[in-house]
Amino acid sequence: MGQFAQFAINGLMSGAIYALIAIGIVSVFKATKVVNFAHGYLIMFGAYFYFTFSVVVPGQEWAPAWLASWQPDWLLAAKEGLPMFSPMGAVLDWVANLPRILFGLVGALFANAVVGLIIERTLMRPLMGQSIFAMIMVTVGLISIMSGSAQLIWTADAANVPYIAPNMPIRFELFGTMIFIFGTDLVNMVIALLLFGGIVAFVRFTKGGIAIRATAEDSSTAYSMGISVPKVFSRAWVLASTTGAIAGAILATRNGISPSLGLFGFSVLAIVLMGGLDSYIGVFIAAMSVGVMEAMTQWQLGGDWAEIVPYVAVLVVLIWRPHGLMGQKEVERI
Amino acid sequence: MINANLKSTYAADERVLNNRYKQMFVYGMALLLAVFGAFANDYLILIACKMGLLLIAVVGINVLTGYTGLVSLGHAAFVAIGAYSVTIFQNVTAGFIPDPVMIFFAVPFAVFLAAFIGVIVGLPSLRVKGLYLAVATLAANFIVIFLIEQDLFAPWTGGMVGLTTNAPNIFGWILDSKREMFGLIALVGFVTLLMAQNLIRTRIGRAFIAIRDRDYSAEILGISLLKYKLMSFSISAAFCGLSGALFAYFYARILPEQFELDLSLELVAALIVGGMGRTMGPVFGVIIIVMVPEVIKITFGALTGDAAGMAQLRAPLQEIAFGALLVFFLLKEPLGINQIVDRMLRAANRWPFARG
Amino acid sequence: MLKVEDLHLSFGGIKALQGVNFEARAGEITGVIGPNGAGKTSLFNAISGFYTPDKGRVSFEGRDITDLRPDKKAELGLARTFQNIALFRGMTVLDNIKLGGHTRLKTNLWQALWYFGSAQREELELRREIEERVIDFLEIDHIRKYPITMLPYGLQKRVELGRALAMRPKVLLLDEPVAGMNREETADMARFILDVQEQFGTTILLVEHDMHMVMDICSHIVVLNFGQQIASGTPAEVSRNPDVIEAYLGAAA
Repeated sequence: MGQFAQFAINGLMSGAIYALIAIGIVSVFKATKVVNFAHGYLIMFGAYFYFTFSVVVPGQEWAPAWLASWQPDWLLAAKEGLPMFSPMGAVLDWVANLPRILFGLVGALFANAVVGLIIERTLMRPLMGQSIFAMIMVTVGLISIMSGSAQLIWTADAANVPYIAPNMPIRFELFGTMIFIFGTDLVNMVIALLLFGGIVAFVRFTKGGIAIRATAEDSSTAYSMGISVPKVFSRAWVLASTTGAIAGAILATRNGISPSLGLFGFSVLAIVLMGGLDSYIGVFIAAMSVGVMEAMTQWQLGGDWAEIVPYVAVLVVLIWRPHGLMGQKEVERI
Repeated sequence: MINANLKSTYAADERVLNNRYKQMFVYGMALLLAVFGAFANDYLILIACKMGLLLIAVVGINVLTGYTGLVSLGHAAFVAIGAYSVTIFQNVTAGFIPDPVMIFFAVPFAVFLAAFIGVIVGLPSLRVKGLYLAVATLAANFIVIFLIEQDLFAPWTGGMVGLTTNAPNIFGWILDSKREMFGLIALVGFVTLLMAQNLIRTRIGRAFIAIRDRDYSAEILGISLLKYKLMSFSISAAFCGLSGALFAYFYARILPEQFELDLSLELVAALIVGGMGRTMGPVFGVIIIVMVPEVIKITFGALTGDAAGMAQLRAPLQEIAFGALLVFFLLKEPLGINQIVDRMLRAANRWPFARG
Repeated sequence: MLKVEDLHLSFGGIKALQGVNFEARAGEITGVIGPNGAGKTSLFNAISGFYTPDKGRVSFEGRDITDLRPDKKAELGLARTFQNIALFRGMTVLDNIKLGGHTRLKTNLWQALWYFGSAQREELELRREIEERVIDFLEIDHIRKYPITMLPYGLQKRVELGRALAMRPKVLLLDEPVAGMNREETADMARFILDVQEQFGTTILLVEHDMHMVMDICSHIVVLNFGQQIASGTPAEVSRNPDVIEAYLGAAA
């Protein structure tokens, strides 16, 4: 039972990250009806940008020293005499890294937003009003373009990136067993959940969100009602690329940075379809359950079987419920 | 639509090559291919074989995506199934079936197995449209490759190390050179194209196109969506399986990583670049998709003088070129090269009365 | 021939059809009329199998076909056209009409792939038949090789009728065959419909807004209003019916 709880918690934590990534795909779909097959690569760009702004830039000679490692007197004093691997030490290390973490996150957000805008402007907008198939295939072409560009731009081996939160171990007892989690994973989960909730609230309650929903319903009517559809499209892409940047930064600290990070997007795509493309709630449920199922598979069958869990799950769900758990069935008028 | 072609029978009008220019084009190409097979150097033969292998699979994708309108991003799985099942079949039945006729059992086995699994993977297509299917096939691709790599099946599949297949033996004639293999691949490729063309000029292919264009209207004409979607899936999987079988014979070793998503995307990209739903589309598509990386390789080598530091930039550049090609055609010529060629043929047909 | 008995159909809370009863008699033209939203197209969709009715039955030549899938109904000899033309836009006129012959052809996959012997014979026979029976009949020989997208609206409607005729149907369902046409095109279409009935003896059921045309060519008329059948009878009877007058013109002041 204790083991079960440990893996369930691990699963929920990765499920939250899945949900955060899924937001990007769902938002772009809601606004533009395009399923972005290259979303994983947008996340990979986010991860590389985080690496660039939190490791590469602070490491340059011209960068101020405090950016790479902030060491005010009180910090050094507090560190004095602390034992290795103490929770307090982890917090202080984090404080020392804080400038470059923040710089990395902000840099990644902006850089990725620019990438998202460029994609929308140069590739998606010319196809507006044309077949959805063409738009989707453009995102498939993007996969190769982005993966190749990343290899061209970031040829250097990616070093470790700083954790977003203090990486201290947290232990507590549940059902008579010790549960062990890392502080940074917990914070990542909280960030992911907050962002998810925030974006759902944005789409549901704000004017901009209503514009997105109206465009999703019928873009030509929305256009004629005074909603700037192109603006909605670019907003959706910015939303996807910025949440992607945060997710990328988190993934960079969890799984390391490599071009294979892009593949992650495909499992999230499977999750999104499982949940039902246009339903945030359904996608959230799907993300959490796939996270837990993966953790359970890892526990029972070993790590490599976990990687096909989302794919098996999506096939099962699609045969059982063709439009996903909570997706809307499109009514066809004959 | 000028029809400057006088015809006096329906049979003449129903021919595929119904005017002189199309005839000249196709026969000229066939002649060129024969000359090529006899005189080209080994490098060119290798490239041509690559194209041929890809062509057979792309014709399969064309049946599914181009004619029936169902998108698949996982057909590399069927190429894998074809390749692996040929080799495994040969290994398992080695003592029972004599070598000179082995290929006549192994290849049909591979093709039928791919078709059968195609039906299973195609099942979601009955209930979901478009994208859902693209993701379902993508998932199937990941799962198939994953299973091939598993230690559990490694005694048959060779796991990560892959498998080797003997050169095909046709009644004692062993095709152990690339040039001989080129002959076989070109022949099979031609027959595949012919079959696809025949398919769309009879009721089954028309039914596919009807489903693509308007599925409820197809139903009202008595076309069972269930039957024809699955049929389309199995035909396309069978062609991909056939391509895979030849793939196994052609390359010294097959590895699971050769059949991953990259190949699936290459198949779809070749179809889009060439022209969806057109018989000759796959031909034009594979030529471009295979040639562009080669051209990059050659020019890159010439420009950098094979400097060691630059060599690692080549693969990413090829990848970018591949994606850019796909995006370019989607934006500028969504009907592919076939459309460009059609325009030229039409202009030739009208000449000298009208141009363009 | 085609009999609809006590048909009920609803979508959620909306009652699209509430107890529709009529029979399309063999070899006659029956018209279904009613204001917008009366349930005419829903009735057609229920008859051709896209919607499953909640209650009631549809029978064809005495056989219950209520729950058959559309493609099975087509095999029995039920053909239809759609209100907003449902031709295959990626094909030529000829291929569209050829598709009408789908259920009668026997070519299997193997024969189709090789196009030898029987497959070729069958294709040429089909071609000859549709040329003589459909293309010539509907006077569309000049556009047979045109892609659908190049045709004007009126011709598209005619091609759709041609596709249905290529099925050699026993019953033909026409959903607003002259909607959006001008007077001349309407007259042409009315003539074709009468010709079909006369030459092939096809039973025809049509939905139409054009009152003149319906009164002129139908021998029997069913009137729907808000899903309910408010009248049925000969054109003369129906046009005198007070309920019908009220539905169309509003209550007498």
